[in-house]
Amino acid sequence: MAEQVISPDLKFVEDVIASGGGDLKKCYQCATCTVVCNVTPDNKPFPRKEMIYAQWGIKDKLISNPDIWLCHQCSDCTAYCPRGAKPGEVLGAVRKLAIQHYSPTPLSKMVGDPKYLLILFAIPVLLFLSYIVPKGYLDFSAIPRGEDGGIVYSKFMPVFPQIDVTFGAAAFFAVVCFVLGIKRYWTDMNKGVSAQGNIADSIKATISEILAHKRFEKCNVTKDRKTAHLLVFYAFIGLAITTTLAIVYLYGFHYESPYPLYDPLKLIGNISALALLYGITSVTGNRLKNAEKAGKGSYFDWLFITVIYAIVVTGILSELLRLANIALLAYPIYFAHLVFVFFLFAYAPFSKMAHMVYRATAIVFAKHTGRDK
Amino acid sequence: MAESNTVVIIGGGFSGLTAAVEAAEAEKDVIVIEKNPYLGGRVAQLNKYFWKLCPPTCGLEIQFKRIKNNAGVKIYTLAEVQDIKGEEGNFDVSVKVNPRYVNEKCVACDACAQACPSYRDNTFNFGMDKTKAAYLPFNQAFPMQYVIDRNSCAPNCKACADACKYNAIDLSMKPETINIKAGAVIMAMGWNPYDASKIDNLSFGKVQNVITNMMMERLSAPNGPTQGKIIRPSDGKEVKNIAFVQCAGSRDENHLPFCSYICCLASLKQAMYVREQYPDSKVRIFYIDLRTPGLYEHRFLKKAMDDPDITLTKGKVAGINEDPETKDVIVEVEDIFSGSKTKLKFDMVVLATGMEPATKTFQTIKNVSYTSDGFVDTGAKKGIYPVGTLKNPVDVVRSAQDATSAVIKGIQSLRRI
Repeated sequence: MAEQVISPDLKFVEDVIASGGGDLKKCYQCATCTVVCNVTPDNKPFPRKEMIYAQWGIKDKLISNPDIWLCHQCSDCTAYCPRGAKPGEVLGAVRKLAIQHYSPTPLSKMVGDPKYLLILFAIPVLLFLSYIVPKGYLDFSAIPRGEDGGIVYSKFMPVFPQIDVTFGAAAFFAVVCFVLGIKRYWTDMNKGVSAQGNIADSIKATISEILAHKRFEKCNVTKDRKTAHLLVFYAFIGLAITTTLAIVYLYGFHYESPYPLYDPLKLIGNISALALLYGITSVTGNRLKNAEKAGKGSYFDWLFITVIYAIVVTGILSELLRLANIALLAYPIYFAHLVFVFFLFAYAPFSKMAHMVYRATAIVFAKHTGRDK
Repeated sequence: MAESNTVVIIGGGFSGLTAAVEAAEAEKDVIVIEKNPYLGGRVAQLNKYFWKLCPPTCGLEIQFKRIKNNAGVKIYTLAEVQDIKGEEGNFDVSVKVNPRYVNEKCVACDACAQACPSYRDNTFNFGMDKTKAAYLPFNQAFPMQYVIDRNSCAPNCKACADACKYNAIDLSMKPETINIKAGAVIMAMGWNPYDASKIDNLSFGKVQNVITNMMMERLSAPNGPTQGKIIRPSDGKEVKNIAFVQCAGSRDENHLPFCSYICCLASLKQAMYVREQYPDSKVRIFYIDLRTPGLYEHRFLKKAMDDPDITLTKGKVAGINEDPETKDVIVEVEDIFSGSKTKLKFDMVVLATGMEPATKTFQTIKNVSYTSDGFVDTGAKKGIYPVGTLKNPVDVVRSAQDATSAVIKGIQSLRRI
């Protein structure tokens, strides 16, 4: 075998351990994990090789590797690991570090570290306060009402420019960060690997696989994750459609909210919200139920789940409180809803939300290079 | 001086026998409590010792002979200790002695077994064959006396008693509890093979041609279920393509968190059984690390490595299935050095299961504490001395050494008080 020089990145090892891979060093390379894994390719399977890369601090081999995203954290490996090294959790930590590595702003470190949580929340809170405080809206009775005397959120926080410009800018920022990150990731993945076939076919195959959530079906220990994740996934698509409709209503037809409950936009929005509530509750329930076998999850995971939970709960409550005309609760809850939505969108490229973009990219690449069939 | 000059030895395996002989030859009164109907324990079930590849019955016979010739040793078979009360120098040991239904007039003529109409699973051979309900545990059993397994008898049957010409069978025997005064107690209950069916991904009990290493010993032994012919359970086919799965339950915090020490050497030894019996055979051993500490042990490994038909592959087997047509065993493993995950077919697969200390069967004994792994905490109680595999996994040589040292401690207990 040819001689190889390894330059370990010890800081990276520490980061993996601090990010949820705390049992990394227990691994003794027996390869039980690769054998019980149902989603790994047979040639150079994961996660055993990732475990030794992570132990040795070979960062560049890990984060630029599509394998870390082909892993769906079924946690079969963690359940069967004879040493309790929790390969599933280690790969989760590596993915977090990969997201941080490829995101182009210092925000990435802040999202992954609890000590910056208050600052991250303070940004949207101050931003939205700056819209309403000058108008004296902290006194809820000063907020104008609708013609029938009901609560109208757009009179509290106008759609244009406050809402749309803020979220438009946040979304634009997120997209730019994603594009830059993915570009660097794609370049890194391409080093020394030759592509084959048509990239369009790989993209098509990836989309159909994601829409069907096929890979989740191969999990054993956490079988129940498929339904939960599928619900959350389609709920997000439903909510994206709702938002698009809202834009069309407002700017296309100058039709302003609130809309009646029988309106298609309301129907899609409300069904999606309930699906999201049920889905994210199942995600949480599954994680708690499987914690002994699959591991407890990291701060990075739970922050993401909590934010989604907060969005769906404050969203549903905002609607109910508006309909019930309870101003005292409705305005603060709606305010919180805006803060959480901002958190999810603006920080998406640095939070676990980024998994959808990086994982999809890695699957496309793996299919394109014949790594994944 | 202690009130009693007696050393009670719980367990009549190789450690217990060694302790008994050593203590008796130092003129102590020795009482051996054995739960099986025979002495010799796990060693009696082995085909050959590693690394010398000599038969263990030879060493066992020497111990049996030394015991037979020493009037100071009393043996209770089919007996289990219920409780130990008291202190160093003055223990009260209560023992439940189960009936053998056969007394010492037995000459092992086999007439009872021939007359017996009922069968039982042969536990000595791990259920791989059957014996009559009236049976001799194995052909070199000591004491050389038959046993009646009453749980397997037909109702009201006394065919064995009728067939016995020596009045050796008494079906009216009852269990009795005896109390023994002792100055010191040596615990030598040994170990049990880890229950392989608990390792669900290795399919023991689900795939017919998956056996354990202790079953392999019986399968290779001339006095075993196949008279030493290594054939597989499903169809009796000669096993010429065999795999050994190391660390089946050992070094695994879901099962036995410790290394069982003997399994690597045992698999190398069993590989040689197969290679010797079938010169055209192929053996493959899947391991995490091959652990053969010691000069002779290492030479033994080298010997296996020099055989081109023994392949050693780094990578733990973590999935086993059956080919439903041929009943061949399909093993799933990552070959770590080549970095590829493969499925391989074998005639038969041996799981190198580890040693579980036999502590579960005597939790009734108070005053003794146990480690989280189930071993006996040494030195927890003065006058009670655990030996050998009750303290950590060891081979036969080290068990015997440890038993000898425990006897010295026991004798000191008798003198101290």
